[in-house]
Amino acid sequence: MKISFALQKNPFALQWHLKSSRPMTLWGIFLLTIIILMTIIGPFLVPNDPLSANMAERLASPSLTYPFGTDHMGRCIFSRLVNGSRATLGITALVIITVLLIGIPIGLLSGYIGGRFDSFMMRIADGLIALPEFILAIAIAGFLGPSLMNLMISVVLVKWVSYTRIVRGIVLSEREKEYVLAAKVGGCPTWKIIARHLLPQIISPVFVLAALDVGKVILIISSLSYLGLGAQPPAPEWGAMLNDGRAYFQTVPELMVYPGMAIFLVVLSCNLIGEGLRDKLDVKSS
Amino acid sequence: MLEVKNVSKSYRSNTVLTDVSFHLEQGECLGLIGESGSGKSTIAKLILALDRSDSGQIIVNNVDFSQLKGRELRKARRHVQVVFQDPSASLNPKLPVWKSVIEPLENYPEASPSFLKEVRNEKRKMAEILFEKAGLQSGLLDRYPHQLSGGQRQRVAIARGISLQPNLLIFDEPTSNLDVSIQAQILNLLKDLKSEINMSYLFISHDIATVQYISERIAVLKEGRLVDLFKTKDLFSADRHPYTKELIDAALE
Amino acid sequence: MSAVMTLTKEIATEKENEKDALFRTSPVLEIKNLSISLYEDKGGEEHRLVKKLNLSIRPGEMLGLAGESGSGKSLTASAILGLLPKSLSVSEGQILIRGQDLLNLSEKEMGHLRGKEIAYIFQNYQDSFTPFIKIGRQLVEALRSHDKISKPEAKKQALLWLERVKLPAEQIFSSYPHQLSGGQLQRASLAAALMFEPVLIIADEPTTALDVLTGEKVLDLLAGLQKELNCAVLLVSHDLKHVLKRTDSMAVMYGGQIVEKGATKSLRENPRHPYTKLLLKARPILRYTALEKFAAIPGEPGLIAKEGCTFALRCPLSFEQCYMVPAMQPAGRFQWTACQAVDREKVDTNA
Repeated sequence: MKISFALQKNPFALQWHLKSSRPMTLWGIFLLTIIILMTIIGPFLVPNDPLSANMAERLASPSLTYPFGTDHMGRCIFSRLVNGSRATLGITALVIITVLLIGIPIGLLSGYIGGRFDSFMMRIADGLIALPEFILAIAIAGFLGPSLMNLMISVVLVKWVSYTRIVRGIVLSEREKEYVLAAKVGGCPTWKIIARHLLPQIISPVFVLAALDVGKVILIISSLSYLGLGAQPPAPEWGAMLNDGRAYFQTVPELMVYPGMAIFLVVLSCNLIGEGLRDKLDVKSS
Repeated sequence: MLEVKNVSKSYRSNTVLTDVSFHLEQGECLGLIGESGSGKSTIAKLILALDRSDSGQIIVNNVDFSQLKGRELRKARRHVQVVFQDPSASLNPKLPVWKSVIEPLENYPEASPSFLKEVRNEKRKMAEILFEKAGLQSGLLDRYPHQLSGGQRQRVAIARGISLQPNLLIFDEPTSNLDVSIQAQILNLLKDLKSEINMSYLFISHDIATVQYISERIAVLKEGRLVDLFKTKDLFSADRHPYTKELIDAALE
Repeated sequence: MSAVMTLTKEIATEKENEKDALFRTSPVLEIKNLSISLYEDKGGEEHRLVKKLNLSIRPGEMLGLAGESGSGKSLTASAILGLLPKSLSVSEGQILIRGQDLLNLSEKEMGHLRGKEIAYIFQNYQDSFTPFIKIGRQLVEALRSHDKISKPEAKKQALLWLERVKLPAEQIFSSYPHQLSGGQLQRASLAAALMFEPVLIIADEPTTALDVLTGEKVLDLLAGLQKELNCAVLLVSHDLKHVLKRTDSMAVMYGGQIVEKGATKSLRENPRHPYTKLLLKARPILRYTALEKFAAIPGEPGLIAKEGCTFALRCPLSFEQCYMVPAMQPAGRFQWTACQAVDREKVDTNA
């Protein structure tokens, strides 16, 4: 009887338990942990300097010195891949954090205070959302000029909107609930209602959205780098590496396969984790 | 203590309240009966200043609530507190319940309820005393709302309602979501608290029997108009409004 | 006392009483020894939410099933309709409709029976009609899916039934569900339930979502039509007022067990089980002179004893024997009570 009572009080308790054991989520976590470890300690362990070119050994096959072979400049692909993860994952993390720092406050204020600020922000958001993300990012990055910084700015500008909208939507439905009214009656000033009562409600859905977005952001960053709008040579970055390998795709496809696989694995693991989180936290997909 | 004068309210073209007037004495409990759509919850919202009336005045302690704004409104608010119908919605699901209970005291450090004098500024102790007043064990302090039963949650909401020792405590259908055996416990608790702490109650309900038990006077609201207002002991008197009589007939077995 | 003995004794007394007028006809619905269980995982632990329940309803009888949340009253109703949630299942017992065991029927046979022989009215009347399809069309389609009749004939019948539930028939027939008020919708669903002239109507909290006066009118209507059709009604309600006011017989459930059952009049005037007694005292009812204090039942409805009498943990009379499942004992002519403490009391007073 004990369990059934627990069920009545919290109907999600049982589901929670069952869903947290989804094997695919665990795989995602496992994979991402390895990738992150590699990013942190990998650069100290790699066999070669990722930037030193050795034209005598260009396009070499895998060997003990060069585990994945060399590229068209004779640089060690493995070392570049490992070092490049810092650029790709670092930028992604930075972009996501910046997006959250911009998107959440605007969404909270827009939803709770409403009025002109809300209409103004939502008009901007509508405008941004009307255009395809990727095209918009290319346009902004192209306008600002090719550099890593500008690449980040363009992705942030494209991405904050969806966070603002989801946060605003939750706030709009929560602010009419009785606990928010009770807080107001209990004398909470506006900032306290937002920070203490509304913010905690949006954390889990936003977290899920962010986890699912990591893959997308990596793809956009890599794609822009591939188009030459992001990381500039000779800095290693996965998208840029893809771009470098393009010319040799017919003869040495590995040049594109390795960075492509790396991107694929990161995106896959992030999506697996994101979906697991979504199920576990029971967030409705927006 | 509370005076509602000629209050009207409509949302868009939909008239919810028409010229409603009544008053409440210090220490009195007024029951407000009405069916859904009668505007009884709107009255609560207006008195709590969660919404503004189109016309009329709401006077609490000689201050017109409907004219206040910003800081002054926030200051005045502590004299009127509320307990809502659905205790699962009226507590923040992400806060341990004791934090919800003492939150009003944090917001109004100047408020000093007589029963908390000895433990001023000791938050945890204050919460313990409030819990005890509401008939909750202090072992439940650190629970989250979903870990409590419906009756316990409503007691937590009541503990929060009395925390500032308000002049007026509004109950919006506080027992209609509870099981029968819990209803009786809660109603008994409310009756005890009222005589223990000097407060006035505005008790909103659709159930005439509950209102009869708890209140000294009863107001009947129908389609946004106050159709009847009488002392509870005159409930069965012949000059009741026909609508009141209908409600009584339905409630008798 | 063993469970088997309990059962035989219970059946025996019931048989004895069959001689009386109220029990002369054979029951429409008979629930025998019904248990409903929740299985955590396949082969996992079993949690019984309804325990060895026995009930019967005769034609023309309205039986009230009263209890608080967690009492298993709604589960019992769902089980009769074959609409238990997937995680739950009937682990033992029989549900007999005119002698036929529902648990042996296929999904399809059950579907045919449900709606035609057994009708139901739910609490959320909004869900009883599909939005965006006119009420009339839904009634006609329902009629034609169970009986082979022509469209005009079905329409005639639907209109007739809308009139019988005291609705402006033509107008409602061509309205969409959202154009109706709550009371009108619940009446329309009453028409939909009754138009096949079922032998049993299951009304699960039919008035809980309605206003007091509207709810009373819906119940008046239900009672009137029941008389005309002479069908049996199972009224599930947490509101004792409705049960006491409307039903011929009633059963009080706590924690999945029936603690007391019998003729409503008898239970009301002479409740024997401590839970029934307290429940009758604890609810707010209109009195000529208001009470000073309720006799509140201590504890929460979720407090259910695992073994023996489910109410033992909240019961003021509980003693060591309560760890055993109490037997249903006759307590008066039309009343059965499952309580060891009451038995003891009786022994004490007899001695």
